[in-house]
Amino acid sequence: MQPWVIATSVIFVYLVLSLWLGLVANRRMTINLEDFLLYGRKAGFILLYLTVVATYHSAFAFLGSGGFFYANGIGFWAAGTWTVLVGAITYVIGTRVWALGKAFGYITPADMLADFYESEAVRVSVAVVSVLFTILYIQAQAQGLGYIITVASGGHISYPVGTLILLVVAVSYLMAGGLRAVYWTDALQGVWMYLAVWIGALFLAYKLFGGPLALWHAVETKAPALLSVPGPKGLFTPGMWIGMTVTLSFGVVFQPQMMIRWYTAVDAKTMKLLGATTPIYLMTLYIPTALIGLGGAIVLPHLAVPDQIFPDLLTRYAPAWLAGIILAGATAAAMSTLDSILHANMTVLTRDVYQRYIRPGRSDAHYVWVGRAIVFVLLGAAYGLSMYSNPFLVTLVTLSGSGALQLMPAILGVCFPGKRVLSRAGVVAGLAASMVTLYETLVVHPMLLGIHGGIWGLFVNFAVAVVVSKFTEQPSADTVRRVHGELERFVYGTEE
Amino acid sequence: METPETPEARKGRPTYRSHLIPRTRDGWIATVTFLVIFALAMPPFTHTVWDRLYPTILGMPFFYSVLLFLYLALIGVLIWAYRRGV
Repeated sequence: MQPWVIATSVIFVYLVLSLWLGLVANRRMTINLEDFLLYGRKAGFILLYLTVVATYHSAFAFLGSGGFFYANGIGFWAAGTWTVLVGAITYVIGTRVWALGKAFGYITPADMLADFYESEAVRVSVAVVSVLFTILYIQAQAQGLGYIITVASGGHISYPVGTLILLVVAVSYLMAGGLRAVYWTDALQGVWMYLAVWIGALFLAYKLFGGPLALWHAVETKAPALLSVPGPKGLFTPGMWIGMTVTLSFGVVFQPQMMIRWYTAVDAKTMKLLGATTPIYLMTLYIPTALIGLGGAIVLPHLAVPDQIFPDLLTRYAPAWLAGIILAGATAAAMSTLDSILHANMTVLTRDVYQRYIRPGRSDAHYVWVGRAIVFVLLGAAYGLSMYSNPFLVTLVTLSGSGALQLMPAILGVCFPGKRVLSRAGVVAGLAASMVTLYETLVVHPMLLGIHGGIWGLFVNFAVAVVVSKFTEQPSADTVRRVHGELERFVYGTEE
Repeated sequence: METPETPEARKGRPTYRSHLIPRTRDGWIATVTFLVIFALAMPPFTHTVWDRLYPTILGMPFFYSVLLFLYLALIGVLIWAYRRGV
């Protein structure tokens, strides 16, 4: 049997497993909006852990990070800072979001923000920002899937066909079983991708260099420039390091697919344990990708598309069955993020737009079917976007992270009681100003004064929100007492 | 059009002690330790003090090893905070 047939068959076995899990989830599902959208708020630690880490790590972790180490050297080890920060944010902010969601029945991030700031304008602004910027993330994942299937099949399955097959599988199990199906498949994908990247990296390190330490030694002697910052192309300047740390931590956890996961935890202890331990998985996944990228730069220099270093090494040096298992892991990484984003966008559009403004007061069954229809439309959007090629997946992710990052002032205003409270006008004005700033500092003048565009946007956002809030009406005393009082009781067990 | 709020409205709103400042000893230890270690894993330290190949630690480049140690220490702080109920 030809190697590409074996490798592609392994990926298809993985796809069948995912579909089977979706069908089982469908049988366990009840026609209830909280069950379809939030897993009935009953997710235990292990399931929540695996879905959070699998959602966070995407095609970017498998393809983009290896490509980044390959092209820009050890500077990408900055990844440790943002992955640890994700844990700390979950520990401190995630638990508060969970407590408010449980107390007041929030389903989306916009539910929480619109309730506290008493504003439909805030709801719409947050929903627009959430959907707009996560669509870029869909594009990155769909493109990753296309790359993987094309490489695994040795070009026998074309990029458009491969992307379509994988998107249809993800959408099928999502439509069948809602968030339950997403969580169960994420658990499978989370385990598979972690084992796959470690096994692949260690296999290549031993096969090509005699072991990881010999690989490090080879890089030290043959390409020492790769082991210094800012790297051979000068990318990892202090400004870029700080910018990526902030955008890929706060910017990713404030995306709706991550915040919705916080609502689903079964209790507060689960949330805290989640925060304390997620960096173990998230950070250690970049240890093998460093070996792949840096070792790949020695073995296969001058690749036109750095993101393809891992699949290229596997197809050249690993047996077909092993390459298939590992590339199925890469598929899992992309699909686990893609299905979560599709689900989050479906949730936002169903809850914040359809249920709120188009057809309020209908049955849960009605909204579940509308959600499924929205997923079908998103499938078309994701496929269309995936046909626009961009070799640097990580750049796309950074763009989308910068967008969701702009929700930070509004979220901190809700989650951290204090003497000053932002107003609805302040939040909306800050968001609007940050969008203009992002366009200027990410697209027109990237890295203005050596500072990442996401940071510029955040700085302007905070400044505008605070100044406008000073002169406009703040949330009512009742709302502040209800929401911040709940947090005071939850965190400290005291009253105001 | 938004209007500035009246002094009465401002007066009726409850205020809380800031949640950004720890209120317990363990909270202070966890926060300060995390922030100090995190600062060591950021510029300017990364681009000056740690930016070197040698001495290698356990066969790995100095820069990589030091940062790995700092990341593990940060995870350790989070787990300590969880165990202490911070």
